[in-house]
Amino acid sequence: MGKIIAVHSYKGGTGKTLLSVNLAATFAKLGKRVCLFDLDFRAPSLFAILKIDNAQCWLNDYLNGACDIKKVMIDLSSKIPGSGKFFAALANPGTEAIRDMSAKDRKWEMRALGRLLSLRNMLLNDQGFDYLIFDTSPGLQYSSINAIVTADFVVVATTGDRSDVDGTRRMLRELYNLFEKKTGLVINKVLDSTSKSNLDEMNTKVKDVYHVPMLGLVPCFCEILRAEGNLIFAQDKPNHPFTKILEEIAKRIEANQIN
Amino acid sequence: MTREELLSKKPLHVLEKIRENLERLNEKMEVMIELQKHGRKETPLIPDASLDVMTLLSMPDHLRKTAMTICRCGRATAEEVAEQTSRARAVESAYLNQLVIMGYLKKERKGRKAYFYADRDGQG
Repeated sequence: MGKIIAVHSYKGGTGKTLLSVNLAATFAKLGKRVCLFDLDFRAPSLFAILKIDNAQCWLNDYLNGACDIKKVMIDLSSKIPGSGKFFAALANPGTEAIRDMSAKDRKWEMRALGRLLSLRNMLLNDQGFDYLIFDTSPGLQYSSINAIVTADFVVVATTGDRSDVDGTRRMLRELYNLFEKKTGLVINKVLDSTSKSNLDEMNTKVKDVYHVPMLGLVPCFCEILRAEGNLIFAQDKPNHPFTKILEEIAKRIEANQIN
Repeated sequence: MTREELLSKKPLHVLEKIRENLERLNEKMEVMIELQKHGRKETPLIPDASLDVMTLLSMPDHLRKTAMTICRCGRATAEEVAEQTSRARAVESAYLNQLVIMGYLKKERKGRKAYFYADRDGQG
């Protein structure tokens, strides 16, 4: 039975989209059937990263009850080597659509939750998908919490920034814990990550501060910034250290090593 | 069913019947207690209640667990919820009825079974 993973963070700019896209590509490379969802309706970005100008239907339409999920999913499997399947469901980047999504009421959000929950049956059970990966909006927003409630586990992206650390801690305690969600932490943009003692120290710190298992530690790679969102490292740079870290994270998730 | 008919059945069956009736009585009493507590009738305690995620977040832990199970299952009996939460059926029945009275869930009887669900397609 497949799993739903939500990638979330307290603050923006922690690398959620970077992690989501590369994690999805990594799973696909491992031969899995994966669908990546852009649930960041306030600032859609997957369409740009995956270089898709026009979709037949958007995820917005599915959540509005206006179309079938199959019409939203775009098959990108040909971009990935091997026998895996890689699909993407995109958020509408149009200003009108963003405005429409931010004006939804509680009843709509409740129905949207129902539609997200039904993806489990439609895609994991019936279509045999191995992973649905939800890229979310940062912080406490309806769309993100809907994604968290639907997910089997949450990959929490964070950085060393003080405001991020405090907020992430609070979210672990007051959001994921309340919904009894399994979580794993990815610390992104880590400086001085080369020495072993530094890594050990970081691991201990994470356990003390967050009380959740660490999925991975991603150093600050200038190459990622230089790529300006034009590369999917897991696909375009198979030997890059970032790709290797993603493979480790994917393996840990596969082995269900997070709790 | 006449008394003779009832006696002719196996004692286990009779006990089962008594248990079912007691459970139904229990459910009715729980509803009455809740209604008495809040002094209201018929209308949901929370006007325009919807079981969205912010509502789930603000619920007390014990009710959230039950409500989340209904969200995941879509539609379930107290027994099915109890299987998921590893709590007693009677406990779940009480919580489910409480959520119905508050207006977050709907209840529908089919034969002997009572199904609970979140009315996602209601007005609004």
